[in-house]
Amino acid sequence: MKAQFQHNLTTSFFLWFDNFLLTKGEAFSNKTGKLFNYTDDRLDATYKPYGSAYKQWVTDSSVSGANIPSGVFIGGSFSGRDDGVVLDFDNGRSLISGSSTDLNVTGEFAVKDFNVYITNDTEEDLVIENKYVVNSRLPSPAEDAIAPYDDVVPAIFISTATMENMPFAFGGMQETQCSVKAVVLAEDTYQLDGVLSIFADSRDEDITELPMTGYPITELGDLKGGSYNYTGFIDSYSSEQGFYVNSVRTSKLTDRDRKSLAHELYVGFIDFDIHKHRFRFE
Amino acid sequence: MVDREVQNDIKRQAPRVGKSALKKEVNTKFKKIKKEMIQEFLTLPVTQELLGGPDAPNISGTLNGFTSLFAFIGFDAGDQPIAPILNALERTQLQYSKELKESRRVGGKFIVTLPTAEQIFSMTPMPWAIGRSWAQGIETGISGLGFLLRKKGKGRSGAALQSRVKVRGGRFKNTAYISSFIKKYEKRFRNLK
Repeated sequence: MKAQFQHNLTTSFFLWFDNFLLTKGEAFSNKTGKLFNYTDDRLDATYKPYGSAYKQWVTDSSVSGANIPSGVFIGGSFSGRDDGVVLDFDNGRSLISGSSTDLNVTGEFAVKDFNVYITNDTEEDLVIENKYVVNSRLPSPAEDAIAPYDDVVPAIFISTATMENMPFAFGGMQETQCSVKAVVLAEDTYQLDGVLSIFADSRDEDITELPMTGYPITELGDLKGGSYNYTGFIDSYSSEQGFYVNSVRTSKLTDRDRKSLAHELYVGFIDFDIHKHRFRFE
Repeated sequence: MVDREVQNDIKRQAPRVGKSALKKEVNTKFKKIKKEMIQEFLTLPVTQELLGGPDAPNISGTLNGFTSLFAFIGFDAGDQPIAPILNALERTQLQYSKELKESRRVGGKFIVTLPTAEQIFSMTPMPWAIGRSWAQGIETGISGLGFLLRKKGKGRSGAALQSRVKVRGGRFKNTAYISSFIKKYEKRFRNLK
């Protein structure tokens, strides 16, 4: 099946959301540190993983002040993509070609304050059923690599909930109304209030429609073409009719209910009402 | 031939007499529609089910009989979720605004203070997340979070604790509620003549 409207919405919304949080909230911190080798059964023998203590490095070079890595330091010497290094931004690690597992690898990178995930899980699964590893952004004296693949917190889980077409104009133009929900799991109320405040102010924001193929990450977690700049990317699609945030509501799980959870996280909800005027199947 | 002075008197007094009769007639019609509105609201399946409390059968059909809406949303036993909406509908008033200045007709402009759907959504918070509206959720979807939270929190709604069935996504079936109801009566009040 070729990519449909819903696929483009998910991609466009996710990239907009990430950029909005990082730019409006400066929700990242630059880190320098050692990358630790560990075993990963999912990788073939081509690479050895060296992971940092933090997941989800910032990929977007339009975020002012964020240190976007283009390689790592092996034994003090810089090695980039041309030297066989793959940067897995989602898992916060580098994949180094060869079989050495005892290299001294360090890196400089920006880490998101919140991991952002697209999910199909229900709210009850996200808030009550799922168990999370807390990947605190505060420096720890005994740093080690964070295990890859599993979702970690603090995090924001985005899901596209419902979509409905309403007649809008003669000629078959529809107003497509989409409900997008985000569940925020934060370590403290400062983080939670910050995220909710940023997105409560996102009403009337334009979201450029991007094709699903525009997603900037490869299957190994590195950047397609070696770099990604959100504002530069959306410029090439600025002539397209985009989405807009028609309304947005934020709310927090009451303290009484938070205390009945098995974890100590602070929970918030952001409910977006996203609209687009469009002709179907175009 | 009527005297000019009499003609002027009739011109001056007719609107005043007409206005009073108009107000009375419009008010009677308004009261009738308002009464019907409240009666209809109280007979809506969602309203009925919520009025029935935690043990009410799922007559709204929103949960396939899995539990009651009251328990699913996560209300505490004794909560009266319908009360704010009912109060808002009861507060609907008819206000005379101004006389219509048309040469051949006697009339007036009236304002009906019917609450908007948005106003009702803002007065119906989810018991576990202030800022989200359960009334809007009936139309757009509600997760089973409230139900499970009450279950975890030792079943404050009374009924949530009894069920051992895991809440699955998609269990809740959205249904029309406040928006279409308000739209219907907005139209009826607008056509009040």
